[in-house]
Amino acid sequence: MATENAQTPLLQLENVRAGYGEAVVLDGVSLSVPEGGSLAVLGRNGVGKTTLLLTIMGFVNLMQGTVRFAGRDISGAPPHKRARAGLGWVPQERDIFASLTVEENLTATARAGQGNAGRWDLSSVYDLFPRLKERRANMGNQLSGGEQQMLAIARTLMTNPSILILDEPLEGLAPIIVEELIAKIGAMAKDEGMALVLVEQHAEVALGLTDQAIVIERGVIAHAAGSAELLKDQATLDRYVGLNLEGE
Amino acid sequence: MIGNLAIVLFDGLAFGMLLFVLSVGLSVTLGLMNFVNLAHGAFAMLGGYVTVLVTRELGLPFLWSLPAAFIVAALVSVGFERTLFRRLYRAGELNQVLFTIGLVFAASAAAAYVFGTAQQPIQLPQFLRGVTEFAGLRFGSYRIFLIIIALVITGLLVLGLEYTRFGAQIRAAVDNQRAAQGLGIDVDTVFAVTFALGSGLAGLGGALAIEMVGLDPSFGFHYLVYMMIVVSVGGLGSIAGSFVAASLLGIADVAGKYFVPDLGAFMIYLIMIAVLFLRPQGLFGKR
Repeated sequence: MATENAQTPLLQLENVRAGYGEAVVLDGVSLSVPEGGSLAVLGRNGVGKTTLLLTIMGFVNLMQGTVRFAGRDISGAPPHKRARAGLGWVPQERDIFASLTVEENLTATARAGQGNAGRWDLSSVYDLFPRLKERRANMGNQLSGGEQQMLAIARTLMTNPSILILDEPLEGLAPIIVEELIAKIGAMAKDEGMALVLVEQHAEVALGLTDQAIVIERGVIAHAAGSAELLKDQATLDRYVGLNLEGE
Repeated sequence: MIGNLAIVLFDGLAFGMLLFVLSVGLSVTLGLMNFVNLAHGAFAMLGGYVTVLVTRELGLPFLWSLPAAFIVAALVSVGFERTLFRRLYRAGELNQVLFTIGLVFAASAAAAYVFGTAQQPIQLPQFLRGVTEFAGLRFGSYRIFLIIIALVITGLLVLGLEYTRFGAQIRAAVDNQRAAQGLGIDVDTVFAVTFALGSGLAGLGGALAIEMVGLDPSFGFHYLVYMMIVVSVGGLGSIAGSFVAASLLGIADVAGKYFVPDLGAFMIYLIMIAVLFLRPQGLFGKR
């Protein structure tokens, strides 16, 4: 489901320098994701991958450069306005609201989307993750890691975003859950044309789910390529991502 | 003797309900938003003076003055929250305490300047004066009214916080401010509204308090002590905890003064010490 409107990228970063306080973590980062496109963000631990996502969401001090979303400059917008504009962030720590039930976690921040982004509601996310329906009355802190990750993704889908921004969604999960999540994220990106930014330690998985990829090294983009092409480029992967291609 | 006991329990419960209305907003702002707002007592006093003005100067009925007390206290508090308090959210508890206790001093001085230091009497409607007889016992009509109001407020608070989307958003924002923002909750506004509701309840409590305990410029200090005891015994941020603690302390206070006059005024402190000794986080506290 490629879109015709390819001239305006959905998400675009231009020459971004960002960090915490005075400390610069990202320097000179530019990237763009078209509507329905998907981008893998690879790199070793601590190179700035999560900071990149936090910069997109407005949690990090943007020192230079611009962040555009759907053609609008959102560089100065607070996080809640970015979320309402259609950026669907799924945080790394999952950050499930512990004193809300599973269903309240889904409904408290739910929003109707604009246009074709309006498809997610309680029944459709329960169809996607039937486990959550079984646990709908449980409190957010009574879930397993896999269930928490499903809830975190479902909670963001309920905001009907036009892009899904996932921060290491498979980290620390049992292999069977990892398989399930890969299949479902893949279905959303490939079959439904949900735009995707995916930070992931497992390069093979991330490259399989996306069409473009960047590799971050010490706060700058060290390499950018098509995902399929990078998947075959063992030398580059070895150099920047290390052991992760083999998986665990 | 049984009759006396029933009346003491009733009067104690009524006093407890007054403490509940005065304190529950503080429990919410302290427990949910981690802001130590000692000026809560000053907002209660403001509500009391609003009622004095509305009934005496404007000549409106007492019942009309109650929503006025709520609204004025809520609006004034949100003015302070937007301009001053929010700068202190990350400033540490000592700074919050010093600033807000300073506000109580200022409010007390302002009240003394405008209204004088005398007690402010108010005129109650006929149906709230005198007593209501039931089963041969005489219950103060105003106290019955107070208990009913407090029960309604409790019900509305529990419904609002536990069963509405806005309530879920408050809890979400408290659980994890960053995740709430990242999912589209305007946390600043949610907190400002919560703060206004809590202070509005203090204002309502101040208005309801005049008939039971009087109103003068020291109100903000005097009842701050009771508020802090209710909040710490009940547990921060717990509406049920505030309700139980306020009832317990109200009954203990009245029963202590009635049955053990020598010990009377110290009873609530003994209970506070006993409860906090056994449960430092308060009866319903989570931390």
